[in-house]
This record gives sequence, structure tokens and C-alpha cells, in this order.
Amino acid sequence: MSENGDAPNGSAPADGTTAKVKAGRHREATLYHALHGAGAGDGRTLEQLRAAAREAYDSLELPVWRRSGFWTTSLADLDIDALSTEGGDGIPEIVTRTLPDAPFAGRIVQSAGAVVHVELDPSLAERGVVLTSLRDAFRDHPELVAEWYSKRLTLDRNKLEAANAAFWEGGAFLHVPQDVVVEAPFQIVYAIDRPGVAQYGRTLVVGGRSSDFRVHEYDLGEDFEGQALHAGAFELYLQDGARCRLAQVQDWGSGEVFDVSTRVVSIGRDAYCHWLPALVGGHLVRQHLELAVTEPGGDMAFRGVFFAEEREHLDLFAVDLHETGPSGGDVHWRGAATGESRASFEGLIQIDPGSQQTHTYLQIHSMMLSPKARIDAIPSVLVSADDVSASHGGTVGELDETAIFYMQSRGLDRAAAVRVIVEGFFEPLVAELDDEALEEIVREKVAAKLAAAREDIETYATSR
Amino acid sequence: MADLEIRDLYVRTEDREILRGVNLEINRGEIHALMGPNGSGKSTLANTLLGHPSYEITSGSISFKGEDITEAEPHDRAKAGLFLAFQYPVSIPGVSVANFLRMAINAKREEPIQVKEFRTQLQHAIELLDVDRAFTSRHLNDGFSGGEKKRAEILQMAMLTPDIAILDETDSGLDIDALRTVAEGVQKLHDEQGLGALIITHYQRILHYVKPEFVHILMDGRIVLEGGVELVERLEREGYDQIRQEVGAAAGAVDDGV
Repeated sequence: MSENGDAPNGSAPADGTTAKVKAGRHREATLYHALHGAGAGDGRTLEQLRAAAREAYDSLELPVWRRSGFWTTSLADLDIDALSTEGGDGIPEIVTRTLPDAPFAGRIVQSAGAVVHVELDPSLAERGVVLTSLRDAFRDHPELVAEWYSKRLTLDRNKLEAANAAFWEGGAFLHVPQDVVVEAPFQIVYAIDRPGVAQYGRTLVVGGRSSDFRVHEYDLGEDFEGQALHAGAFELYLQDGARCRLAQVQDWGSGEVFDVSTRVVSIGRDAYCHWLPALVGGHLVRQHLELAVTEPGGDMAFRGVFFAEEREHLDLFAVDLHETGPSGGDVHWRGAATGESRASFEGLIQIDPGSQQTHTYLQIHSMMLSPKARIDAIPSVLVSADDVSASHGGTVGELDETAIFYMQSRGLDRAAAVRVIVEGFFEPLVAELDDEALEEIVREKVAAKLAAAREDIETYATSR
Repeated sequence: MADLEIRDLYVRTEDREILRGVNLEINRGEIHALMGPNGSGKSTLANTLLGHPSYEITSGSISFKGEDITEAEPHDRAKAGLFLAFQYPVSIPGVSVANFLRMAINAKREEPIQVKEFRTQLQHAIELLDVDRAFTSRHLNDGFSGGEKKRAEILQMAMLTPDIAILDETDSGLDIDALRTVAEGVQKLHDEQGLGALIITHYQRILHYVKPEFVHILMDGRIVLEGGVELVERLEREGYDQIRQEVGAAAGAVDDGV
């Protein structure tokens, strides 16, 4: 069951005094309520939603997330008023440097607050595929967008969510119509190439019935000195029978980049999603990831890789949500940490009442590579149906000295052996990206982190 | 001077002394068998020769090809031409046998090995060890059966062409077919490449397929008896207990004499 909160929510002390409510004292998993109802379907226009969000933004403080006293994610150090939402111009160098030289179906690039590049295979445009900034989508495809925009996203849970809903500019909208099958990936890029930026990224993707496509999101930051913010909101809706492979590579670079994002994937009848975020860099990252089966027959593979270094702080809340059955789920995350970094992965399986014949499994494996690094993995299961199977497992590992000696006895030096182990640790998931260029990017980022932490890892080993 | 010289080696782990004055000389092209009952220190010697960090050498020395390697890092010993086939090979998930072999080969070279050359060598080794080609794309030792692990050890040995290989109870847990394949592989590498080997075993079985020229018997951390292949036959007849009684008596006599 859930392991949250140092006090039960809403209970008043016996003496009748009112319990003091600390900011952020509850964690979602206490009883998770899916995010929905803030946008599409409630009749409000974009302007009305923005105004409501603006109001929430003004009334809220910067959020603090706490869990049972020993884990806190605080944005107290973020000087949000010093940041600007001004747009960039031109494709930043970090983007051209990072994106693979491989075929793609479409590409949209947002730098800071502006979309600076949109490109779509003309043959796909002819078949009705839409790839455009979300701003333009509201103008050019108002009915389509209104049906889905913010359907499962809230706008006032915290100040940054409200900021996104109130201030987003540019944004990305992708619609793959019914029966359209696209092999090459659609690339959605958010880049921050200088300090002082507040980027409110907003992505809406809709996969029509029986469509089949790939989305690769890149969140890229240049190495700079100073603060920046990416407060993102991402939503993907898969209609009946649609299939999507969604991958995300996030590396905000060595700047003081805060990333507070909410990402929701909703899986319709007999639809399928394979979702794999690779989170490999960010000063402070807090992500709320929800993968929800909303109609019978939906199936999902929810994967994830993270690697924190130096003083990075990573706080992930991932939900494997089954709102109906029969449905399938398979959650598998792997994370590593070096330096003095801290990572928390809270994974929740929730099977709502009536979601019979749901089968799901959650596993989280972590590897700590330095004495001051810390990873907390907290799986929980909330089941409200009886004809289901749901379980979780996981491992917390350190480097296996026997394996290192084994490889050394074959001529690999210690650093190479460590690299083999850590790369091997991530490899099962990296290989699942099923896209050579993307796999290579993730492998290189893992290798670079290991190289950077080489001394640290060495000291750790010899100290034991 | 022998290629591998072990001089008066004393080794301990955290809780106890295991080797108590081992002397041994092995040259390229020679096949040695090291036999002994459980707990005599066979695996300790094998791991110490490759520099396992859990074993502390308290006195004595190891030299290889004229260099003192007593304190050398394991990977430097490997690069110099020593090899250890593990009693319990470690699984390395996420790395294929072929990729691992390529890394290990490249670790010993200035320039990375050419793809074609690597393939040719791999094909040769695959045939020698009678393994399936698909075997090399599986993750190293991950989910391997006992027999597959031991074959993978010898496959690595064949690819890395060491001067002297230590085989730590490679025969244990093998069925007769796997045992024959592994043993014949060792014999062939000896015949073709001049491999020197120290075959560590508890049993005599493997020595029906690989013929050692030198046999050493280790008991209680010391080599108590040395000879040719006739020692194996004697051991088969008499067992360790009888030999222990004899050498025990002899050792006792020596001790008394001091």
C-alpha cells in the first residue's frame, strides 16, 4: 500500500484543535485521483482556461513536495520572477548537435518561448497528419484541438502547472488521423540555450483510430551558468486501436535548470502505448507521469531510465493507472546515481473499481555508484477490483565487485568494467527504444556521465 | 626462469590463512594439474594468481615472464597473458558474448581489431568449442546453463590466446559431452598455440581427456606431492585420505626433526 505522509490527511487531533496544514504535506499516492476535467469537455474556451490558471498562479506559492520527512523537493531556490518567457530565434546549436542524422516524419522545435521550426513530410500532410505549434492549431484546427486540449490535465494543483496553463506560448500539436501508419518518428524538441528562460512547453498529441506512429521528444539544454525553468505539460490521447511508441530524451545540461512537468498518456479501447522517458540531466526535476488505460483492451509498456549526477535532484511520480478492464500494464524503470545526487522514484499501480481482468507488474531497479548518491524507490499498489493481478518488485544495487574482477581478469581496466556493468544495467531498456539513432544518444549520455564520475566511482570502490 | 613462478606464497582472507608456502613453476606449452580435496586452497591460488582483491598475499611472490606481478592489477596480469577460467563465471547482463570478446581483445591491443579478423577468429573458436553461432549474441553468462558457462570460459580463452591459463574446476558440474568438448578445446589450444595450463580439479575425470605432464597435490595450503601423470592414477586408487596419512606422517617427521 502507499507509504506516504507522516500524518493521515484530513484527520484532526483529538483535542479539537485544527491540524496545521504544511505546504505539500501529502503525496499523491495516498489515494490517487487521475488528472482530468480541467479542459476539454467542460465548455470553457482557451481564454477562460488561461484566465482561471492565471488566477491560480497569482494565488499559489512555489510548490514543495514532501514525503515522510526525509524527502523534500522544493523550488524555494528558483527565482521565478527573474525569468522571462521571451521567445528564441533560430534553431539552437544544442538541437542541431544532438538530433540524429536519421529519417524523421516531422519535426517541431521550440526554443525558449517560441516555436522556431516546423517541418512535416508533405506526403503525410496530404494524408491529413497535422504537425504545428499548438498556438496555430487553436487557430487552424479549433474543433479538433478543443476536443482534446487539457482533457486530462489540471491547471491549479501547483503554481508551475498554473503557470504553464496560463502562459504557454508556441507549443506542439500532432494529430495522426485514423488508419495512418508512420514508421519514422515525429520529433518534438524543447530547447533552452541560455539562462533566464522560463519555458512553458505544452504538447498535445492525438492518435486517431488504428493509427500507428512514433513520437520522440527531446528536452535539451545548453551548458550555461544560471537558472532556467521548463514547466511542461504533455498529453497524448490514443483512440481505439491506435499504437504509439513514445520516447523522451531529457538532458538539460549543466545549467541550473528546473523541470517541473506533468505528462499524461491516455490509452483508448484496444490501443497500445510503449512509453520510455530517458531522464539524464537536470538540476532539479520533478515529473508527474501518468499512463492510463481508459477503455477496455488497452495495453501499455511503461519504461523509464534515469541517471542523476553531481548535485542533481530527481523526483518522479509515475502512475500505472487502470480505469477499466480488461487491461494490461508492465512498468519497468532503471536508475543510477553518482556524486551527491538524489533520485526518488515513486511508482504507483492503481486499479480502479470495476477494472476486472487487469494484469500489471511494476519493477524498479536502481544502482548507486557513489557513497553520497541516494535513490529511493517506492512502489505502491492500490487495487479496487478482485479479478486482477498486480505486483511489484525491484532491486537496489551497488557495483558487483565479483563482476568487476571477472572483467578485469579478461583485460578490461576497472573503469571499463564499471562502464560495462552500468551500460549493461540500462541496456535492456535502451534496446527497447527500438530506434538505433535514439539508442545511441542515450548510450552516449550514460557513457558521458560515467566518464564524468570516474574518480568518484573509483574512490567509492577503494573505500569499501 | 619459468614463465610463471610462484615462490613461497602465503595468502590469507579476512578470517584465515589459506595458502601456506606454495611453490610452483609453469611454462608455456606445459600442462599441469593441481589436485586437492575441498578446502585445500585450490581456488584461492587461482584467484590470487589473477589478483583478486579479497585475497591478501602476506609473503612470497608471483612472477610472470620475468616481471614481478605480486602487486599488479588484475587487468595488467590479463594483458600480460594470464587467464583464469572461473569456477563460477559471473553473468554480465546487457553485454553479448561477442561484444565482450571484442572489448577484451581490444583492451590488449593498440588498434581495435578489424571486424573481419574478429569474425574469423570467432568462427574458429566457435567450431573448436562446438557451440551454436547464436550463442555469441546472448548476454554473457546470463541465463546460461552450467555447461554453457564453462564453454563460454573456454571460448574466451581461445579468443584471448593467453600464454598461461588457470582453469579453476572447469570440469565440475559438466556432463560427459560438455567435459569432453571443453577438455579437447584445452588440448587443442595447447597443441596449436602452445598454451600452458594449470588445470585445477578435485576429480580425475577431466584428466582422461587432457593429459597433464605435471601433477601437483595441494593439501592444507601446501603442495605436498608432485609427479607425473602416474600420480593421478595413484590418487584414483588410493584417494586423498591415504595420501594425507602418508604425507602427514612425513610432514610430521620433518616437523619433529626441526
